[in-house]
Amino acid sequence: MSIPLPRASIVVAVALLVAAACAPAGTPGTSASVSPSAGGAASTLVIDRDTSDLISLDPAVLYEFSAVFATHNVYETLVKFEGTDLTTPKASLATSWDIKDAGSNWDVTFKLKSGVKFASGNPLTADDVVYSFQRAIKLNKSPAFLFTDVAGLKAENIKASDASTVVVTMPKTSSTQTFLVILTFTIGGVVDSKEVKTKETGGDFGSAYLLDHSAGSGPFSVDHWTKNTEVLLKANPNYGGTKPSLVGVLFKHVPEPTNQQFALEKGDADIANDLGSEQIAALQGKAGVTTTSADSLLLVYVGMNAMVKPLDNVKVREALRTAVDYDGIIKDLLKGNGKKVQGIVPKGLAGYNESAPFQADVNKAKSLLQEAGQTAVTLDFLVPTGPAPGGAAWSDIAAKLKSDWAKIGVTVNIKQTTTADLLGTYRAQKGQLVMINWGPDYPDPGANVNPFTDYKAKSIAYRNGWDDATIATKAHEAELISDPAKRVAAYKEITDYVLHNGPYVVLYQPTELFGLRSNVKGFNWSSIGWAELASVTK
Amino acid sequence: MRFLGFLTRRIVGIAAVMVGVSIITFAISHVIPADPVAAALGDHATDQQIAAFRAEYHLDRPLPEQYLTYVNGLLHGDLGRSIRTRRPVSDDLFDSFPATIELSLAALLVAILVGIPAGVWSAIARGRLPDHLVRLASLVGGSIPVFWLGLIVIGLFYYQLGWLPGGARIDTFVAPPPTRTGLYTIDSLIAGDFEALRSSILHLVLPALTLGYFSTAVIARMTRSSMLEVLGQDYMRTARAKGLQERLVVMRHGLRNALIPTVTILGLTFGSLLSGAVLTETIFSWPGLGRYATAAAIALDFPAVLGVTLLAAIVYPIANLLVDIAYFWLDPRTQRG
Repeated sequence: MSIPLPRASIVVAVALLVAAACAPAGTPGTSASVSPSAGGAASTLVIDRDTSDLISLDPAVLYEFSAVFATHNVYETLVKFEGTDLTTPKASLATSWDIKDAGSNWDVTFKLKSGVKFASGNPLTADDVVYSFQRAIKLNKSPAFLFTDVAGLKAENIKASDASTVVVTMPKTSSTQTFLVILTFTIGGVVDSKEVKTKETGGDFGSAYLLDHSAGSGPFSVDHWTKNTEVLLKANPNYGGTKPSLVGVLFKHVPEPTNQQFALEKGDADIANDLGSEQIAALQGKAGVTTTSADSLLLVYVGMNAMVKPLDNVKVREALRTAVDYDGIIKDLLKGNGKKVQGIVPKGLAGYNESAPFQADVNKAKSLLQEAGQTAVTLDFLVPTGPAPGGAAWSDIAAKLKSDWAKIGVTVNIKQTTTADLLGTYRAQKGQLVMINWGPDYPDPGANVNPFTDYKAKSIAYRNGWDDATIATKAHEAELISDPAKRVAAYKEITDYVLHNGPYVVLYQPTELFGLRSNVKGFNWSSIGWAELASVTK
Repeated sequence: MRFLGFLTRRIVGIAAVMVGVSIITFAISHVIPADPVAAALGDHATDQQIAAFRAEYHLDRPLPEQYLTYVNGLLHGDLGRSIRTRRPVSDDLFDSFPATIELSLAALLVAILVGIPAGVWSAIARGRLPDHLVRLASLVGGSIPVFWLGLIVIGLFYYQLGWLPGGARIDTFVAPPPTRTGLYTIDSLIAGDFEALRSSILHLVLPALTLGYFSTAVIARMTRSSMLEVLGQDYMRTARAKGLQERLVVMRHGLRNALIPTVTILGLTFGSLLSGAVLTETIFSWPGLGRYATAAAIALDFPAVLGVTLLAAIVYPIANLLVDIAYFWLDPRTQRG
């Protein structure tokens, strides 16, 4: 008997390869109607990024970086930040808003822009705004706490007084300024209630449909989301603003930064979204590509547990802050991909404090330790695995800190563990020195100042055993100030105090790095985690 | 009848393996020191959110009760909900498994088409240059790390030469074929979409070569050694003495007998291809089970890890079952005894 199997396989395989190689590249497929090539490669922006965090594209459900970036370009909000400025909300769907003291509450009244249409062609009215906010509260998914806990909203307190007026009643314990900031975020995205209501099943407020479809009024709408592969946005012909020049935007899931770099150089990607300093260095001087960077809102810091001796002594904490070579970390380890920020509010937010007084002053640090009655200190130092924001390895930063602190007689035992494991110890107040990063939930100073100062919030101050009721009260009072200038002044006072008294060594604010094809213009990354793609051209 | 009895025994064996695997995987994933809640909810979660999450995934219940709840779900076809993607694990597996099957089959095809002829050639030319070349290539294939090889072939064939695509299952601007089997090559053939067929085959080449190189090396070495053994047998001399052409002697009398141990290796190889796909899929942005498993493991997404493990636990014995069935065809002695 002969052996027909391998020979037959060879014949089939060769036939397939020949068929593949000979097939005309332009042969239209039967499913070409769903192809991103609807507008052609020339007018579709291809963004390579790791989109493994995607869970949903529903603005009331999503709270992940990739989804925030994509859907920010799909849904419009009542107010928005313009460009990269994150300090002053400007008009968007609302032409004006009025904040009225209604005795025991605030009444915030929004007047809506007329003539706005959703991608479906339906007009956008106050009913859509009420429906959108109420569904976010009732669905109670990841971002809902921004409405319910931070802004103190209840579904019944959002009302339409006429077709173009929305009135939101807020408790006096919440900040109207913070509420306006939250409205700029994706949870404030207004959905087409007429369309979504037709998609509701089993009381889900249409969330199964909006998982991978859209019903917004922004410059783009969701064409499709193929899990683990891509999200395609296509231009919304009914968009009322300046029409995007792009026909579509394709977010391709490419998890490996090196592959993103290769694809960018070969022209298969227009923007590479997750490049590290190595890839950026490799792209320098290459034809057809350019690189850019932008601030993130993250802060990389070391928490010092104030319940652990001698970290309970404010002078010991000040000594540790004073001894660190911040410039060395940024220049040598991060290759410049970070900013020297030492306060608890990152650059870019209202309330950012420029004061950065610490830089490797060994003598001063030693004398602070002596004043505290300490000559030799030994502490455990908990550090995550993998790369830190900004591109350096957590372990390298830890080694640098160990060396800096050794110079003043402080010995640290580095214990490296997964972030999940580290957080378990940190949450339970069981860390001594813990290095980690923090990003605000919404672009408002309160989103950093509250967790860093309020022990009762059981967040960062709690994890570091720092219970300073006076500063926590001041932080809450600052949050409720409605005059922006007075608010910033109040935050300045608080951040100055935390800078020298808090249990934190804020190391740096990382920058984010991007590779772009040279023909891509108008790409401006906002540190909150998105870019306005309507103004991008290629 | 013998075959039916054999099949029944194997299916019962598979069920027993499944129970064992589910207990072991469940136990391991629940006793590791890291907390899946911290991994899922991150730095900002409140105590209330953590408590709600524990209740949703029954993490607040005793371990035996958690296991019984899980098994009860399994018996009702429910693999649980992924912590990371928040979707039913079965949906996630359904989405990602075909991509892995397609890649593994392509890699297996590479291993068979290259490994067996190389092994035969090497045996026939024992001690001469072709033999040395095949043995050297096998040695390299058996020792080279998959992730390194993957980066090298992408760097060479995609980045430097531009001959082949460097990742993904199909070109960015080519629509995938309508889903029938989930295998793009087969589906595009069914749909008669030759553009998609061309693109999906070209996208398969580099990952399949990368994934298949190790198996090719193993199969080439195994085929070579069993061919050498067979070539010295009396029946080979008899065949030659009958005046048969050397080609027929080797192919008809030699290879068929030499293939029996190789087929055993093929079954094991298919299983190892599935595990090797973890790295290959990450490097080639291949949206399959391997990448899903990696992401699940990093996120401590234990329902997803359990789902992947159980799926692998089914695939391994099924591959071995197919090998045993192949024995029936290749070796008549197994049918008798």
